Amino acid sequence: MIRLHNVERSYPLGRGQLFYVLRDIDLDISQGDFVSVMGPSGAGKSTLLHILGMHDHGWTGEYFFDETATHHLKAKERASLRNEKIGFVFQQYHLLDDLTVYENLDIPLSYRHYSKSERTALVGDALDRFQIVGKKDLYPRQLSGGQQQLVGVARAIIAQPKLLLADEPTGNLHSSQGEEIMKLFRKLNEEGMTIVQVTHSEKNASYGKRIVQLRDGWIV
Amino acid sequence: MLNDIRFAFRLLFKSPGFTLVAIAALALSVGANTAIFSAVNSLLLRPLPVEDIDRLVYSIALREGFDPFGSSLIEYAAYRDRSHSFVSSGVAAQRSFNLTGHDDPERVRGATVMATYLTTLGVKPALGRTFTADENLPGGPAVTLIGYEFWQRHYGGRVGVLGEPLNLEGRSYNIVGVMPRGFDLPGAAEVWLPFQANIDSLPLVEQAASNYEIAARLKPGVALKQADAELKAIARQLEGEYPEFRHGWSVKVISLRQQLLGDLEGRVHKALFALMGGVGFLLLICCANVANLQLARGFGRERELALRRALGASRGRLVRQLFTESMLLAVLGGISGLLLAYWLVPALAMLNPIQGISFAAFLRHFEIDGRVLSFALVVSLVTGVIFGLLPALKGAGTHELMLRIKQGDQRSGGAASRQWLNSLIVAEIAIAMTLLVSGGLIVQSFQRLQHVDLGFNPENLLTLKMILPESKYSEYRQRVAFNDQMLDRIKNLSGVVSAGTTTNIPLEREITYDARFEVEGRVPSNPNEVLITSHRIVSPDYLKTLDATLMSGRFIDGNDRAGNLPVVVISEELARQAWPGQNPLGKRLKRVRAGQTFPSMTVVGVVKNVKEDLFNYRINRPVWYVPYAQVENSFPVNLIVRAKGNPTFLTTAVREAIRAIDPDQPVSDVMTMNTNLSDVLVTERFSAVLMAALAASGLLLASIGLYGVMAYSVSQRTSEIGVRVALGAQPRHVFQLIMGHGMKLTLLGVTIGLLAAWSATRLLVSLLFELSACDATTFSAITLLLGFVGLVACYLPARSAMHLDPVEALRYE
Repeated sequence: MIRLHNVERSYPLGRGQLFYVLRDIDLDISQGDFVSVMGPSGAGKSTLLHILGMHDHGWTGEYFFDETATHHLKAKERASLRNEKIGFVFQQYHLLDDLTVYENLDIPLSYRHYSKSERTALVGDALDRFQIVGKKDLYPRQLSGGQQQLVGVARAIIAQPKLLLADEPTGNLHSSQGEEIMKLFRKLNEEGMTIVQVTHSEKNASYGKRIVQLRDGWIV
Repeated sequence: MLNDIRFAFRLLFKSPGFTLVAIAALALSVGANTAIFSAVNSLLLRPLPVEDIDRLVYSIALREGFDPFGSSLIEYAAYRDRSHSFVSSGVAAQRSFNLTGHDDPERVRGATVMATYLTTLGVKPALGRTFTADENLPGGPAVTLIGYEFWQRHYGGRVGVLGEPLNLEGRSYNIVGVMPRGFDLPGAAEVWLPFQANIDSLPLVEQAASNYEIAARLKPGVALKQADAELKAIARQLEGEYPEFRHGWSVKVISLRQQLLGDLEGRVHKALFALMGGVGFLLLICCANVANLQLARGFGRERELALRRALGASRGRLVRQLFTESMLLAVLGGISGLLLAYWLVPALAMLNPIQGISFAAFLRHFEIDGRVLSFALVVSLVTGVIFGLLPALKGAGTHELMLRIKQGDQRSGGAASRQWLNSLIVAEIAIAMTLLVSGGLIVQSFQRLQHVDLGFNPENLLTLKMILPESKYSEYRQRVAFNDQMLDRIKNLSGVVSAGTTTNIPLEREITYDARFEVEGRVPSNPNEVLITSHRIVSPDYLKTLDATLMSGRFIDGNDRAGNLPVVVISEELARQAWPGQNPLGKRLKRVRAGQTFPSMTVVGVVKNVKEDLFNYRINRPVWYVPYAQVENSFPVNLIVRAKGNPTFLTTAVREAIRAIDPDQPVSDVMTMNTNLSDVLVTERFSAVLMAALAASGLLLASIGLYGVMAYSVSQRTSEIGVRVALGAQPRHVFQLIMGHGMKLTLLGVTIGLLAAWSATRLLVSLLFELSACDATTFSAITLLLGFVGLVACYLPARSAMHLDPVEALRYE
């Protein structure tokens, strides 16, 4: 499903010098895989995730997604592909403070040409599936961290992406809440969702099927 | 406190962008406030060279509701003897004198005054004395007072001038005193003669003539309104006592200061107060702007303030520190504003709003004196309090401060803090809307006044004034002969199209002549009806020279001379009042004056209405034109010459043509008609230019404020925008998000502003001309303008948000 070949990401340091965040990355991820990307701080984990999520356009190399050569796509085409195929979960949840739970779930759909009735149905399904119907009118600040991340995951998958990217999804949660989220990820993976997560936790990584270790921008 | 000031200075230097923007906004509003106040100070507050001016009043005789005239001696005597409102009163009459014996003959402005006129004003001579009671008696000595500037100009300020002769109108007067610097009442007098007449012994016709100015000093404790009511009651008594002279006359008492401004209807006061309101609004917009900047900066300093609290600072201590920063900014803004005001004040003086000609050295000279400096200081400090208080209280608040410390360097200023910024910007837009609508109405009104049909073509016209001295032109045929010869010579000058004479140049700032009249065969339906017309005695080619439009019949021509049928050319308005719906040609009317009889005059022509009367510019007042050769008079002769090109090129040739007929005949006030007209709308021009400038400044400040809030909002919402992009938002979604937010604020501000403007513009009604205070076009245009400016102000932040890199946006966390 995903093939990276010789992907590199660098930032200019001045005087013509470059600082490499990622070096010569070759990575294949199959449909239904659950990959945990690990490594110390500054290893390039989040950068890799943003490249996979097609947020970052300043890299070189080849990136095939479902056989589509994304490295040949224009930014707008990549954004369109991303919207169709990829969902995100963030460490800080990043729920929109001024929107209710219901509205937070509706936001990704509103960016994707769903009709009003389809959006209502999909949001309703997500609320049911994640058992947060009772919270739908609450604002993020009225939820616990675990509940907020639950909404974050629901929001990430509501548009039925093929790939779920998660950047330290349990980083701000205490252990029991983190475990709940990881069980949820495993369940989603078992249902066919491809997942790539960045984590520092060996325990969280164990929920995945394989681990990719990064160090100083290299896969080791 | 010293530490607070030192720290405040350090902070201002640390954020030069913020400091400069804040000081610039403060300078603009403090400068505008100070400059406008300098006008208010000069016109309404500054002492003048008379004693306790606020107790001095002036009476205007009124006809037909508001048709101002000079006062009569009948009125003066009645007010003096029957009123209990005044300590003293006196009479003066403006005059012009031909001055000879000093180089070229010169026409000087002067007056005949009662001794009590000068003592009522409380004027103390700079040299010598004023008139004594004996000098005021009929047959008294030939004495004169001269003005300070006249003394300097003609005598070089020589102390020995007292006792020297002064030749006026061919008669010698002894100089007995020099008036103080700047004193020139009534009018712009430079020489004064005693009013040597016993009122009671004068013929009633002369007593009834409205040629005088009455000044009176209110008794302590008597208000102007009381005096006005008392004099109105006396005026009603006079109507009964002298029906043939006083029927239909009333009186209005105004303050002398109001009269000096030429502000008989109180428009200057209203315009100044409207402008003070305008600059006040500008100040509020500025305060909202700077408060927004302070708030935004304060949110970024929450961690610093939390640390200070953690280290033991009380809330009061933090408020003091933040407040000190605001006050320092206010003082710096105030100083910059004062510098701006020094530059603005002379420009403002050039737009001088007054029509009066007296005390020009005081009333037309705006300056920054101690009072204005104090005002600037108070405005600056009040501004500091207004824009500094909210940010100080918010910044030193206890909410979530400890949380801020825990959050380390994380951004702060969430939705709640944005609410404050949003509220302030909505208020700012609402105030700007009010200011713009008010400015728009005043500017539009001025434009309409400017485009009022004058009834004549003012281009290429040269005007000048002459008084033919009685001593030389004692017989009327001599005056007619002078007129005829002069016009013959001038018409034959190269570059002259035509020339004519009149007794009042249209819209001039002088005493103008009116006449009561009756229509032959018409019995007034209302016994109180008194028909009055502007009374112009003109030469044959006068109306042609003016380029007046003949509606029917003919102009006055060379055959309309003494001995022939008395004729008159009337304006459309006079025709409408005298013979509504009828053809007036061939019909007759007659001038009416108690004790005198006048011949009936046949209407031979009707002209389109000509704006003749400065104080009735906004309405069409009846005018008639009678032939100079048929109506004996001693009025001034005003020459009007139409040139083929620039009329000023004819000045020398015209002067020489007059000198060739009479070398001793002085001419004065040589100017173009357009120069003459530039004085007509001075108050309106002053209001329009300044309100337009204030409204533009308000719009600029509000748009900068909106831009600032939107840019701040984008910076605060960077990670939110990143999340939205990560969730699938396209650039257009981000654009719509920011634009939507900005436009919501704009529309809310505009809506509130519409309601505020609708209320505020009621106060402008009396300043508007043929324009409703809720004029739909103005309200719509300003709404669209603010909407457009709102779009532009939001566009840049929205565009930058649209191009935010989501990776960077998320990393911003």
